[in-house]
Amino acid sequence: MTRLSIAALALLLVTSEAARADSVLVLNSEEASYSILSRSTRTEVTRLPVGREPHHLILSPDGKEVLIGSTATNELLSLDIKTGERKRVVKDILDPYHLGFSPDGKWFVTAAYRLDHVDIYHADGFRLAGRIFIDGLPSHIAFDTQSKTVFVTLQQSGRLAAFDLATQTLKWNVPVGNAPAGVVMLPDDKRLLVALTGEDGIVQIDPRDGSVKGSLQTGKGAHNFFPKGDGRHYFLSNRVEGVVSLIDTKDELKVVGSVRIPGGPDCMDITPDGRELWVTQRFLRRVAIVDVETLKVVGNIHVGKSPHGVFMLKSTATVTAGAPVRAASTAGEIK
Amino acid sequence: MRDLIDLWVGAQAWIFETLVSPVLFHFGLMAWYEPGYSAVEFVMLGVVQIAVIAVGMRFFERRWPLEKPGRDDGLIMVDRVYTVLNKLGIIPLAIFIATYPLVQEIELLVRSWGFAPPRLERVLPWIGDNDLVSFLVYFVLYDFAAYWLHRGQHAFGWWWALHSLHHSQRRMTVWTDDRNHVIDDLLITLALVLFSQLVGVQPGEYVVILMVGRLIESWSHANVDMSFGWLGERLLVGPRFHRLHHALSTPAERHIQDHNFAPVFPIWDILFGTAIYDGKTRPTGVDDAAVDADNGRGWLTQQATVFGRFVRALIPKFRRRVSAQ
Ligand SMILES: [Zn+2]
Ligand SMILES: [Zn+2]
Repeated sequence: MTRLSIAALALLLVTSEAARADSVLVLNSEEASYSILSRSTRTEVTRLPVGREPHHLILSPDGKEVLIGSTATNELLSLDIKTGERKRVVKDILDPYHLGFSPDGKWFVTAAYRLDHVDIYHADGFRLAGRIFIDGLPSHIAFDTQSKTVFVTLQQSGRLAAFDLATQTLKWNVPVGNAPAGVVMLPDDKRLLVALTGEDGIVQIDPRDGSVKGSLQTGKGAHNFFPKGDGRHYFLSNRVEGVVSLIDTKDELKVVGSVRIPGGPDCMDITPDGRELWVTQRFLRRVAIVDVETLKVVGNIHVGKSPHGVFMLKSTATVTAGAPVRAASTAGEIK
Repeated sequence: MRDLIDLWVGAQAWIFETLVSPVLFHFGLMAWYEPGYSAVEFVMLGVVQIAVIAVGMRFFERRWPLEKPGRDDGLIMVDRVYTVLNKLGIIPLAIFIATYPLVQEIELLVRSWGFAPPRLERVLPWIGDNDLVSFLVYFVLYDFAAYWLHRGQHAFGWWWALHSLHHSQRRMTVWTDDRNHVIDDLLITLALVLFSQLVGVQPGEYVVILMVGRLIESWSHANVDMSFGWLGERLLVGPRFHRLHHALSTPAERHIQDHNFAPVFPIWDILFGTAIYDGKTRPTGVDDAAVDADNGRGWLTQQATVFGRFVRALIPKFRRRVSAQ
């Protein structure tokens, strides 16, 4: 079968009821498109243009749409959660490189990587509450479980900054290591993990004052986290090493497993049944599918140039208003 | 096709992860991680371009040469140096480093105003969703800008002082296209990069436009008497069309070089009244002893002397002082 007929067939499937919960979205950051993949057939169904330099995407608090940060066009592009089709545009969101909603769904925060500012919006209507200019390439964000604080890594200056959401003011700004990227708050709300892309591991930070409490060697270019879903284990992509590590956070931080994923592994998502981890391989223009139990690569799907954010569309039945929301691809484990 | 892309991307990733990435990581240059990966592709594309020129295009030049081998053949050597320096990314890298801070400043300033480039798929949804058509639209826009820049190179004295280096070659070949002064390269690159950002060309598309465009331009300098046919000649710039732009001016045709400016699509010359299709073959070069003196010089000497020419054209006072001596 030709690629075209597969695409045509798959397009029919995508719009059908059955396929809704079966789709996966991948942002091809360098060609301004997104791919819709089929989970069951492990094929690319279609590829559609979207904004400019799209990097990350998240679920809206009401669970009805997926929002893509189109950095170069200063807007959020929303896709229908059921079909993956383009729905509406939220304008005047400057350089939304990394983005997230606070767990209570009240705040929406973006890290403007190129423009050096962190923007805090009232999620309702995307009204800007405060814009804080901060040097050093703000790259990734995470929230505390109480929706009081947002944490932002500053890639160039090697720092982590904490902002009070209600007052939009800086709480602290501390050095953590070379090129920090992904950041995640553990469910106990007492430990922050920060991946150091310029080094070979992660550090554990005290969210109260930013003090470094520990570190763990994982692999060169430690970059981004994704929760396994049990509130305890986290996957971590190591871009330079070409490895995804599985970290146990129960007591002492430990690496309890790893899988080789070449090609600069970046963002991740897990299938709703929790059995497969999907990882974007930026340099290889592919998505790798990893069996979560055996930590073996069980499949590969070709996508577009420099695939970055990845997102599983779930059936609407599993998403309810006020359900856990999260920062793009660095979901905190929120009960 | 899929296998070919796999092979290409596999090679790019291997070169990057084996040679480039460890160096960037070691020196703490992780901010250059993604650009470094693109740079590998740029160099790989350069190798392909050189191969296409040296094997494919040279085949036609050897088989059906327009100008038979002669005493000026030695002049071509330096053009090969230009081609290799450009295609392998040595000059582009220098230009990138030199212009990066400025391009960044402009881009960030414009972005902080909230300006967003228009998107084809938003303006024309049915067209914008088609990869090939969308690519062609951006290519045509890009070429439009390149056409006007080329007219600028001929219109301003200081710019012609630089661009005349490209025209001074008496033996046009598939190697001639990259024969430009580095400042000229820098100005053109800067203008085209800013223009591309303004109209919303994607980085991925930009690379392909550059690759396809430059190959067509290399071919348009070939020493062959070939064309794409009556219609083809009006759709795409070929050797016959561009040779006229390099023609040596004569008392009868003093402004012959002010025609056929288009880099890739002749439509611009047709639209703006600068096209000539007369099928005549003319000798090429520049009717100016000072410019013609570029011939026989090496790369470095050409760069230095043309820089002097540029400075004198740019600063009238300096020009007067020099001529008074
Ligand atoms: Zn010219
Ligand atoms: Zn030329």
